[in-house]
Amino acid sequence: MTLASLIERSQKNSEAWKYTSLAALAKVPYQSNIEGYGMLRASAKPLGKEQPHYLVFINGVWQKDQSQFADLPSGFIEGDTVHGYRLKLAGQTCLVTAPVELIFINAPEKQALEVTTKIHIELGCSGRLTLMERHESQSEHPVAHMVETTIELASQAKLVHGKIAGPFAAAHLATTEVSVAEGAYYDNFTLLCGGKLVRNEVNVTLSNELAQCVLNGVMLAQGDDHIDTTTCMKHAAPNCSSREVYKSVITDKARAVFKGKILVEKAAQKSDGHQLCRALLLSDQAEMDAKPELEIYADDVKCSHGCSVGDLDADALFYLRARGLSEAQARALLVRGFIDEIVDEIRVDDWRQYCRQRIEEWLNDCV
Amino acid sequence: MLKIRNLHAAIDGREILKGLDLTVKAGEVHALMGPNGSGKSTLSYVLAGRQGYEVTQGSVLFNDQNLLEMKPEERAVAGIFLAFQYPVEIPGVSNMNFLKSSLNAVRTARGESTFDAMQMLKLLRSKAKQLGMTEDMMKRAVNVGFSGGEKKRNEVLQMAVLEPALCILDETDSGLDIDALKIVADGVNALRSPSRAMLVITHYQRLLNYIQPDHVHVLVQGKIQRSGGPRLALELEAKGYADFIPDAA
Ligand SMILES: Nc1ncnc2c1ncn2[C@@H]1O[C@H](COP(=O)(O)OP(=O)(O)OP(=O)(O)O)[C@@H](O)[C@H]1O
Ligand SMILES: [Mg+2]
Repeated sequence: MTLASLIERSQKNSEAWKYTSLAALAKVPYQSNIEGYGMLRASAKPLGKEQPHYLVFINGVWQKDQSQFADLPSGFIEGDTVHGYRLKLAGQTCLVTAPVELIFINAPEKQALEVTTKIHIELGCSGRLTLMERHESQSEHPVAHMVETTIELASQAKLVHGKIAGPFAAAHLATTEVSVAEGAYYDNFTLLCGGKLVRNEVNVTLSNELAQCVLNGVMLAQGDDHIDTTTCMKHAAPNCSSREVYKSVITDKARAVFKGKILVEKAAQKSDGHQLCRALLLSDQAEMDAKPELEIYADDVKCSHGCSVGDLDADALFYLRARGLSEAQARALLVRGFIDEIVDEIRVDDWRQYCRQRIEEWLNDCV
Repeated sequence: MLKIRNLHAAIDGREILKGLDLTVKAGEVHALMGPNGSGKSTLSYVLAGRQGYEVTQGSVLFNDQNLLEMKPEERAVAGIFLAFQYPVEIPGVSNMNFLKSSLNAVRTARGESTFDAMQMLKLLRSKAKQLGMTEDMMKRAVNVGFSGGEKKRNEVLQMAVLEPALCILDETDSGLDIDALKIVADGVNALRSPSRAMLVITHYQRLLNYIQPDHVHVLVQGKIQRSGGPRLALELEAKGYADFIPDAA
């Protein structure tokens, strides 16, 4: 999808884009030339020292020579920028034990650039894969990056999918559509570290019995950041379960949005779906818009949502200061504690450490 | 060590402390008793520097420094420790991590080297054991899911780790079972030293059997109505506070 058509679509569907406007993007002359000069200057390194598999994309183009994928099953990655890329574990019980890192770099360009990346991920029956997706911008000029991901998990497949994105000088607009078949499991953790205009949309369909999904996320917003997480969890079959926890920390004049829907179709009896959204506002002008929604057509379900928005607990702050911590230290410790509850759940060690490091950097700058 | 003169303090414009005088010297243990609502916790919060407590008159000197001008963390690193009547729960922050930050802040202020995770673990293990606390409690979030008695032990543990100059214990004995009371009292007694002072706020003579005070004060309606030796506590236990309530008429 081009930026222009996305802007148009967002204007037509005002409910889905209630708190986030793309209008400002229309004012910048974004160019979609791809093989710009910046390609040569961009660099990408995997996170783990011994990261066995990683795929590097610069301005949306897969860089075969910078990637390491020899040990992956043949045909794991195919495609091009125009048609999109397909990552596939075909056949039965195909599994990759070490995480595969996807590194997306926005290279320095001479003009405002729009980039669209299409990725299709497919896991066959009982396939296992861990993907860690990292987006970085090295460009001083604005880049509008649209990422369209589709994920198909066959029965009993399991995908652990991490994403770290930001900060972005311009826009990061991502949509992930996931379908989870019988007994399959999709686990997503997303850390959004700021950006002028960030939208991360995740739509999951639990399409067959006993499908499971976990969506966790952290949004860190400062300055005049605008970060929007919009999710839709569709329970389309009986006996599926879903969990969602999103935490936001917002300071300065920044704004975060959480719009989350749990939709339980009539056939989806015994659905078990829970959603929680919590936000900490660290300044008077910080803003959180939260709109949790339950739309339930089945009668025998266990579903809930919870939402809380508040500032730091004054009693806890005083308690820490009375033990010698400076006000800044105490604030940082409380914010870290607030976020840690979900970062602790990340099971890939390198990835968890990297998330911690990024959060730490943000805290040092902003709290 | 601590000199309080004619202290008046108000919360939301309502005067709670109404001219309180108290002098505590190094090496001494003072017990502060008094009916509910008389201002004991208010005094402890004023000394620790909590926001919202407005000092309208009087002065507080701590080792000749003007305490009232200092931030809570400055007071803490200068050696004031308040064991809270109601310790606060802090989700997501481990007891261990919290104590490490706290001890290192205090050590840095004293010009001592900071502790790394291993040194901290070693120190905590030995101190926690003395107070009958498990290693699991060190890993858990600060006071979250702790029972009333466990929270009080955690306060004493922090005190034992930080080794403050002035310990203010606000009803640390409330909520403790008989055995725990003994353990906590032993922990407090272990900290008694000629260079350290204690202000022990309590409702019960029982605690004072374990922690023998040098002086006992009776706080009623925001003022110390009487001071005396340990026998005063026994007298209060027998007769209550009736004699000390100023005549309203
Ligand atoms: N935050 C507050 N806002 C308004 N009034 C307060 C506040 N905190 C304390 N007070 C009032 O101040 C008075 C003294 O309270 P304080 O907690 O100091 O009593 P105390 O002597 O510690 O009592 P107890 O033995 O019950 O612990 C009480 O009347 C109480 O209601
Ligand atoms: Mg009290």
